[in-house]
Amino acid sequence: MKMIWAVIRPESTQRVIKALDRAGIGGMTRIHVTGHGKELGITLGAIRYMEIPKEMLMIVVPDNDVAKTVIIIRSEAKTGPENAPGEGTIGDGKIFVTYVDDAFSIRTAGKSRQGTEMT
Amino acid sequence: MKQIIAIIRDERIEATKEALEIIGVTGVTFLYVSGRGQQKGKISTHELGVSLNRNLRMPLMNAHYGREPPDDPTEVTGSPFPPDTEFAFGFLPKRMLIMVACNDDVSRIVQAIVNANLTGSHGDGRVFICPMISAIRVRTGEQGDRALS
Repeated sequence: MKMIWAVIRPESTQRVIKALDRAGIGGMTRIHVTGHGKELGITLGAIRYMEIPKEMLMIVVPDNDVAKTVIIIRSEAKTGPENAPGEGTIGDGKIFVTYVDDAFSIRTAGKSRQGTEMT
Repeated sequence: MKQIIAIIRDERIEATKEALEIIGVTGVTFLYVSGRGQQKGKISTHELGVSLNRNLRMPLMNAHYGREPPDDPTEVTGSPFPPDTEFAFGFLPKRMLIMVACNDDVSRIVQAIVNANLTGSHGDGRVFICPMISAIRVRTGEQGDRALS
């Protein structure tokens, strides 16, 4: 079981969610965040905007689905010319994958739901 | 050291705060999030009345302006939908709790969160436990478990 944190553009959120839906990954949590990357935000004239709005998705999937999920998020959150595969635009976001030791469903009184039944 | 991420119902937050206070958890971060689970945000009108009541009551009471508000706050008055209608809301409002605890305290905290949030119906939430390597208290620079106490 792995936890995937994806920081993506707010305008590509719906596309990512729909694509995950089609792949059968239904459960996720969505958080509005602000942040900047190594470019330190956007400079417009004399003003530097360092808190750029982003959308963060938190998804917990079984180990087998990690690659599938990451590929879907990556392909849908990527912006820019269609004919340049692999080349996105600065600010498309990042995907982080971390370990999950254990997961509990509150509805079933905390029974551990390890492995594939966790979606 | 473990990081505990709990996603719970919006309206159970006060009960959860009390439960955590009783077992002595002091450091918690609360986030407003939206989320969905296996039901993809579907919810029945019965649950609408109970759990989304706070969001729904205002427009419904406005619609009945001039009349007495309903005595039972869980009662959805004037709903034009039959009782078993299912709605797909997509993302429902939830609260996320993030806390970091020593390994020994994890099961106690999980139990407290589960007990405070258990209603038995869909949408109760999840508790995830992730490994956390270290913690540093900014004020004093203490590291590891000492930063948590």
